[in-house]
This record gives sequence, structure tokens and C-alpha cells, in this order.
Amino acid sequence: MLRLPAVSRAIAGVAHSKTCLAPSNNFRTSVRASSNMVEVFVDGKPVMVEPGTTVLQACEKVGVQIPRFCFHERLSVAGNCRMCLVEIERAPKPVAACAMPVMKGWNILTNSEKTRKAREGVMEFLLANHPLDCPICDQGGECDLQDQSMMFGADRSRFTEGKRAVEDKNIGPLIKTIMTRCIQCTRCVRFASEIAGVEDLGTTGRGNSMQIGTYVEKMFMSELSGNVIDVCPVGALTSKPYAFTARPWETRKTESIDVMDAVGSNIVVSTRGGEVMRVMPRLNEEVNEEWISDKTRFSYDGLKRQRLTQPMVKDASGQLVTTSWEDVLTRVAGVLQSVQGNEVAAIAGGMVDAEALVALKDLLNRLDSDNLCTEEVFPMAGAGTDMRSNYLLNSRIAGIEECDVLLLIGTNPRYEAPLFNARIRKSWLHNELQVALVGHEVDLSYSYNHLGDSTQVLKDIAAGTHPFCEVLAQAKRPVVVVGSTTLQRADGAAILNAVSTIAQNARASSGVEEGWKVLNVLHRVASQVAALDLGYKPGVEAIRNAPPKVLFLLGADGGCITRQDLPKDSFIIYQGHHGDVGAPMADIILPGAAYTEKNGTYVNTEGRAQQTRVAVTAPGMAREDWRIIRAVSELAGVTLPYDSVAEVRDRLAEVAPNLVRYDDVEQANYFKQANELAQTVDQTLLAEPLIPPQVSVKDFYMTDPISRASQTMAKCVKAVTEGADAIEEPAIC
Amino acid sequence: MFLSRTIRAAVSHSAKQVRSLHQSAVRAGAGGVFVHRDTPDNNAETPFEFTPENMKRIEAIIGNYPEGHKQAATLPVLDVAQRQHGWLPISAMNKVAEVLEIPPMRVYEVATFYTMFNRQPMGKYHIQICTTTPCMLCDSDSILAAIQSKLGIKVGQTTPDKLFTLSEVECLGACVNAPMVQINDNYYEDLTTADIEQILDELKAGRMPPPGPRNGRFSCEPAGGLTSLTGPPPGPGFGVRTDL
Amino acid sequence: MASTAATRTASGAVKVVKPIFSRDINEAKRRVRELYRAWYREVPNTVTLYQLDISTSQGREKVREMFNKNKHITDPRVIDMLVIKGKMELEETIHVWKQKTHVMRYFHESETPRPTDFLSKFYQGHDP
Repeated sequence: MLRLPAVSRAIAGVAHSKTCLAPSNNFRTSVRASSNMVEVFVDGKPVMVEPGTTVLQACEKVGVQIPRFCFHERLSVAGNCRMCLVEIERAPKPVAACAMPVMKGWNILTNSEKTRKAREGVMEFLLANHPLDCPICDQGGECDLQDQSMMFGADRSRFTEGKRAVEDKNIGPLIKTIMTRCIQCTRCVRFASEIAGVEDLGTTGRGNSMQIGTYVEKMFMSELSGNVIDVCPVGALTSKPYAFTARPWETRKTESIDVMDAVGSNIVVSTRGGEVMRVMPRLNEEVNEEWISDKTRFSYDGLKRQRLTQPMVKDASGQLVTTSWEDVLTRVAGVLQSVQGNEVAAIAGGMVDAEALVALKDLLNRLDSDNLCTEEVFPMAGAGTDMRSNYLLNSRIAGIEECDVLLLIGTNPRYEAPLFNARIRKSWLHNELQVALVGHEVDLSYSYNHLGDSTQVLKDIAAGTHPFCEVLAQAKRPVVVVGSTTLQRADGAAILNAVSTIAQNARASSGVEEGWKVLNVLHRVASQVAALDLGYKPGVEAIRNAPPKVLFLLGADGGCITRQDLPKDSFIIYQGHHGDVGAPMADIILPGAAYTEKNGTYVNTEGRAQQTRVAVTAPGMAREDWRIIRAVSELAGVTLPYDSVAEVRDRLAEVAPNLVRYDDVEQANYFKQANELAQTVDQTLLAEPLIPPQVSVKDFYMTDPISRASQTMAKCVKAVTEGADAIEEPAIC
Repeated sequence: MFLSRTIRAAVSHSAKQVRSLHQSAVRAGAGGVFVHRDTPDNNAETPFEFTPENMKRIEAIIGNYPEGHKQAATLPVLDVAQRQHGWLPISAMNKVAEVLEIPPMRVYEVATFYTMFNRQPMGKYHIQICTTTPCMLCDSDSILAAIQSKLGIKVGQTTPDKLFTLSEVECLGACVNAPMVQINDNYYEDLTTADIEQILDELKAGRMPPPGPRNGRFSCEPAGGLTSLTGPPPGPGFGVRTDL
Repeated sequence: MASTAATRTASGAVKVVKPIFSRDINEAKRRVRELYRAWYREVPNTVTLYQLDISTSQGREKVREMFNKNKHITDPRVIDMLVIKGKMELEETIHVWKQKTHVMRYFHESETPRPTDFLSKFYQGHDP
């Protein structure tokens, strides 16, 4: 594990404060007196910069882009590609702009004869060993080398020697390597060791035969591995599933939100001809920076498989047969009309948007039923979900960069929320964050203090008798994060109470200002916070205790209710997009839309409302979820008063206004009151150890209907369990 | 027409010849391939364990560096490993990484960068013959030919009895005593074909011939005897004005 | 101002209208017949030229229908105006200044109307 030495940390700090749009840049306190600023000139234009700023950043400040390959804002400075050479007036040689701090009074010449000649020379050297296979290269059209050789390169090369060839590496089913194209910028190596925390990539050999690889035959299996595809400036690392399928200029890009976990990563969905071609990250400093997890990036092929495309009903022989919308809606309406009050119940799954949730709630309420619950359990005793602060990641994801002590309880953020884990690692690397974990010992890609996995440890910390309490007491800005899965145990309420007591004690002892939140809950499914905000009851316990006659499953694929839990004559309606766990047991199937096919609102674990947009139309006869419920309501005689998304969102605003304030986080508070309420519940903790459901990397890939339907994710699981050679790849180039 | 074709052929042929002059020992693959491939005698299961003496030595080396900078000891520790095992199997590199508490990849990077770390099995005696210009001018080619005919191996090969590995290297900094070879840590200089054959015989017999020049001179003194500093060194006050 | 108002009332009183082309109804009818014949001859060309999915007779029927629609008009000036418009349409059709969709707009009433209520829209397809 690498902790950056002080100097490079300072450089990284400057890099961050320069590029970070958010106000919460906190690598170091960058408040300096203006007298301390240094004046430099870029092509004669004066600009005031902080001391320690690099030449490249100073140029960026005036809007001059310096070409670069190895430099990346979020990685340490390597300075080995030499593409950013610029002339400094009265300096004997061109300098590498990315690594050179500016001095007072320098005049940086970004377009002088010498600068241009230096760039041309570097480009000529880079291209000396770069194959001319752009027409068959997947990076074509979005290749830094291609673009910059057009902008800054010469039109000919003087090299007549043969080009170097490097053998390709098999580093797993996600990343395709064509190492001959590599220009050794080492961005991927630095990404792997700094961001992902998996030091498997490196440079071997020297001179002309230096190459990037793993040296031994090994897969690069990180949960963030796909990001090296974006980081790679050339076509050396490309996406294996996307290989030879589309060109960037022929795809349509739709900005959307990921729903594979509760982080709500911002994504761009590239589509062509009504088909999702790939998913890429979108910059959001508050949530995912510019990374996304592998599940987000590669599970899109699950959107084309196992889909429910037509309404279905179970016939007399128990077979599901396709039918028309008219038929199926009439049947559903008839069934709903035939029961009264709480004889109808609904369960919402993990990928449902807020629009569908509110429509379903309105429908059932109009039928005089209040049996609405989510698959994910959350303790209801004490304050339960009445206090919003009780179920949110109150410190926010970016807030992790400001804390100094982090206590994780019964969670494995690396696989439950990879981007959250990346934030923790970033803070651990640059801010000396101390991490401690109560729960099963897992590899989190950074070092932490393992306090044990028994509930007794929790009790001790809450009581103040555990040695770790001293660390917590000395913390300036402590943060406690509890995994939602831990709260799903039978003693969830007691655990939540213990955790909130720990948080309250830590807050009191740290003397941190009023606005600082200590208690955090890390969810793992995308719909949970919205569902709780809308008043859904967490957990299906109530349904199991009092089985309803009609059960409406809205994308419920967790398998927490089975046919056996219900009486024989009960009627199950399943609405969702995949034929996964919920659909086979249903009497009627209503095909819904997946997250790329609807305008939906999702609230992430911080309580940040974000919206997905329609990238492709839903396949077959599938419809947007809230529309199906709206249509059912009309036939059932309780027409819901909205016909368009805008009207549904007006209704959302009535119920929970924070759900339509997009990209905004509504602050939650009342921690103390929640803690007091929690004191009233049964405090006995079970002796079972705290083990999160996702322990190793093979548990990460297939967790929801979409990723379970994805072949790529299945390949990942196979590769992780049986090795890279187990995957049969078509012979390509 | 015919003439021009032959000329063109000759020119292109010579061009090829010229191009091959760019080959250095490293480019010729002296460092081997820069990826690891499992072989029966070089895989992750190859037994490798530091001896207790070497472990003590490694601790002393690590102690030279400040707290938290064990990684700095990579080079010397790798050298200890190579001296112990004769060469560096992948298991030795893994062991070094384990001892230094760094990811194995960081060790592989170092081990592949330096040509003096041998990642292929070596003979007991590693004969490195210098064929760079000064040695070549002093007829290192004949020494090389003598070694090859004596041992029956070519450059880059190991004798079947695993005693000798022959490699051709660039300048070893003993041009004064050209031609020369390095056998393990010893320089054998001012060689003739008879000398090298004698050295190899000695080594085969299990004895260690004394290193150094073979033509009788001391170290790198001039070959034709001393031309200056022949007398005893003058005492204090030499060359100073008498009135001072 | 006053003078123009005066002339207008004066001409209104006399009821002498300035003809467009035709001085009486018969002349106007002749022009209509000419236009009709021109359209009648043009229909087969139009059908092939625009690759319409209708037969010549259907096209001619439509021409007849369009003419019949205005058969109650007796004012020669109005008739002339309609003839002028008809000629313009014909010219646009002959020169292929129109596209297929413009020609097919004569057959508008054969289209099914788009649904307006939620449920019909839902049955019909993805919401536009």
C-alpha cells in the first residue's frame, strides 16, 4: 500500500483544489493571503496562482490546454510522457509542464516555435512504436493520441525501423488489452495502485522493451477495474464486451443515473438504434467523481436478456401465457376490486423509481389498503424510519474526505458501494484518515483497525469500555457508518441503538460543530431511501404474518416472499423488467421498464434525488412502471390524478418535496431525539458475528435482476472462481 | 538494368547489416522476456526460503532505511536472494515482497529492470565476457571463441553440468586490462586464450583461480612497466622555496 | 381618407365588380372544366411519380370529390380564385415541388385519429 510522500501530496493537493468544482476540497487548507500569490505569464497574459501550482495548471487557469498523456487530475504526477513540454522564456530547455512548479515572473510560451517543435518531436517518438491500426481500434474517435497527433504532431515520421510488438495480456473478462498500442503513460498503473488499491499492474522490463502488465499471469480483478479503460489515453486497454460493437460518433449519449447500488453514480448511456451499447461515467464531484464500478459499467448486457416484454397470465394448467394489455389490465383491476382493504398488499424491490413507488402507494391507499413495504429490512422499533436522519448517509459521500476517524460497522463498502469505498481510500491515502471496522474481516483495499466481528465489541464501544473509545474521543471529526444489511438482523433495532449511542458519544467528545453528522447508514439498493421517504414500511414481516389475498410485487426480486409464505388461493401480480425471482411465482406479469428506459427519480443513500432519462424505449410491450399502475387504477375505478411525468412529480412534491429537488441533498437532523427514542427498544444483541452478505469479489458481480441476467457479470464470477483461462473468448485480433 | 538490380540488392543488404549493428545485448534478449511463464523449475511453488544468516543480513539492510520505507531495501534484498539461490525464481521475488511488505508487482518491476538480476536458471559460474570496443580491439573475440569451444556452449547458454553460463556483456569498466571476463564477482583480466582455458580448468576442478591481471602486472599499472612514480615518494617540503 | 371612403360607398352602390378573369359564370365554368381535365390527366402521372399506394381511379375520385366540394359556389370571382389555387396545387404536383406526404394529405380523413386519453395512449404504445 502506498502513502504518498509529503511533496507529491502537496502537488496532488493543489491539483485537487484546482480541479475540484465542489467547495469541499480538503486535502489541505488552501486559504492563503493574496500577497502570497505568485504572478506568472502565459503567452504574455498575467495570472496570479498559488505557489506550488504547476505550469500546466497555471496554463489551464487562463484557458490554455497543454497536451498531455500521462498527467491525470486525480492521479499522482508521473511526468514520463513528455507531451506537455513547454518553453519558459529564458530557460535553457523546454520543461514538462505537468511536473514543474511555477516560479515568480515566469513567462510560459505555450505556442512558441520551440514548444511546437518539442511537441512534434515527442509525438514522433510516441508514434514510432504505435501501430497504425486506428481503423480497427476501439478507441478510434475518442483517442487522445489520435486527437493530439492531429493537433500537435508533425505530418510525417522519420522512423524507418520496425515497430516494437508486445504480447497481449489476459487480465480478465472485462478489459481487452492490445499492449502494442501502449505508450507507457502508466496512468493505469497509478490508477490501480492509488484509486483502486490493487497493486497488480506495473511496468516490467526496460528501454524499448518496457511493457505494462502484471508480470505473472494474473487478472486485474478490482471492483473499479473498468475505469482504466477511460483512463487509458490510447487503445491499449479497451472494453471487452464493447469490442467492435460501435463507434463513439454513431452513438447517442443520454445522461442518467446508475441503480446497481445505492450510491447513484452519474452515468452516460451510449445507445445506438434502440440498444444500449455501453455505460460510461459522468463527472459528479459529490457522488462518484469520475469513476464507476464494474457492475455499473458492464452489466448493461443484462438489459437485453431475460426481459419481460409482454403481459402474461397464468392459464389453467399453470403456464404463463402471453396476452394483451387490455386483457391483463382488466384482470388485475377485477382482482383488485374483488378484495377489500388490507387484503391487498404490495412489495417494492430494489430498483424501483420514486414515480412508480408513489403511484403504487396512491393506488393501494385508494383501495383502502396500507400494506406497502420494501424488500429491504430496516428496524422500525424506536424512531425507525420516522426520523430521516436514521436511515441516511448523513455525512454525505464527499464528507468522508473531511473526517479523520471512520468507524465501519457490519459493512463491506468495497462491494456494497465501491465508489464510497474509493472515497474512503482517497481520504485514507491523502488525509491520514483512520479507519476501524467492526464486522467480518474483509479486504477493503486500505489498512484498517479490525476491532472484531462480535456484537460484544459494539456494546463495549457504546458503553465506553473499549480501547477504541479513546481514538474516537480524540477524533476531531468522527464518522460512524453502519451497513444496512447489519440492521436487517433480528436484533437490528438494538444494533442501530448501539450505533447511534456510539455516534452520539463520539459527537459529544469530539466537540465538532453542530452541522457535522456522525451517524450514517450505508444502503445497498437504489430505491430504498425513496421508498422510506414516501412512507413504505421496510421489511415484509407484516405480510408474512398476515398474508394478503392479493400481493403486488413491484420489481421485487429479492426472494423474501415465496409462494409457501402465502395461502394457496392468494393472487400474485408481478410488475418488473426481468424474469428473475419474482416473476415465476406470479399469476399475472406486467412488463415494466428498466432504468435506462424511463424517466425515473432515484434517491441515493445520502438522500440525493437524481433522475434517469430515457435512453432507449422499453422492449416489446413493456411500459414505464408508473403508467402501468395508472392504467390499472383507471380500470379499477380509482383513477389516479396524473397523466404525465410532470404531474406525477407534482404529486411526489406533495408527499416528499425533497424527491423532486434534483441534485440537492436535504439535510436531516434530530439525531439526539432518535437516539432517545431508540433507548426504549429491546437492547439485547444476538451473539452472531456481523457478516455482510458480500464478502469477497465473487459476491459483488451478481446482486440484482439486471446483473444476474448479464453474461459479462457471469463471466466475471466464473473468472474469479475458476481463473481467466476458463472464459472462452471469441478469437478477435 | 542487371547492374542496377545487383547494386540495389547490395545496398539493401548492407542496409540490413547496418541496422543489425544497433542491436545491443539487452535488445538481443539478454534480460529474457519481461513476462513470467511458469516452468517446472520456476513457478510460484519453487521452494525458496531465506537462510537464517541471510535473514539477519536483510534485517540489517532494512535497518539502514527510515521507518516505513522498507521498500527502499528492494535492490539489496533481491541481491541477497540471488546470491543465495544463484538466480531469482518467481518464488524468491514473492518472498522478497513478503519480507518487505510490499506488493509483489513492485518487486517484479525492479527485478525486470536490472539486467544483473537473473530470472532464468544460471550455472554455478556466470561468465560475463566483455566485447565492447576496447576489449574487442584487444581480441576479446578469440577469448570468446576459446570459451565457446572449451565449454561447447554458445552465448546465453548453460553447460549441461550446470557449471557455467556464458553471456556477452557491455563494458565492465576494465578497459585498461582488456580483454577481460567477469566470473561471478571476480574480474580476470589481460587474458590470453591459454589463460582463460586454464581458468576454466581450475574452476571445473573446484578450485578458485586468483582474480586479477594475468600478464603479471599489478592491478591496472601500465603494461610496459611504470613510466612515472618509479622512485620513493618525496618527503615534506618537496618543491617548496627553501627560504620559507 | 374621406375620399376613399366615398369611392368605396359609391362603387358599392353601383355593384359593378371588377372580374378576376371571367366576366360571367359560363366563362368561369369553362375554366373549372379546363382545370378538372388537367387534373384528370395528371392523376396517373402523380400516382406513378410519387409512388402512391392508391390506384388512378381512387385519385380521380378524390379529384372529383374536391371539385364537388365547391360546386355550390356561383360567384365567378370566387370560382376564379379557387381555380387559381387549384392551378397552383397542380403546378406544385406536376413539378414534384411536393412530397408524397403532401399529396396524401388530400386523403386525410382516412387516417385514424391519435388517442388523447391516457388509457388509449397506453394501449397504443410508448408514450410519444
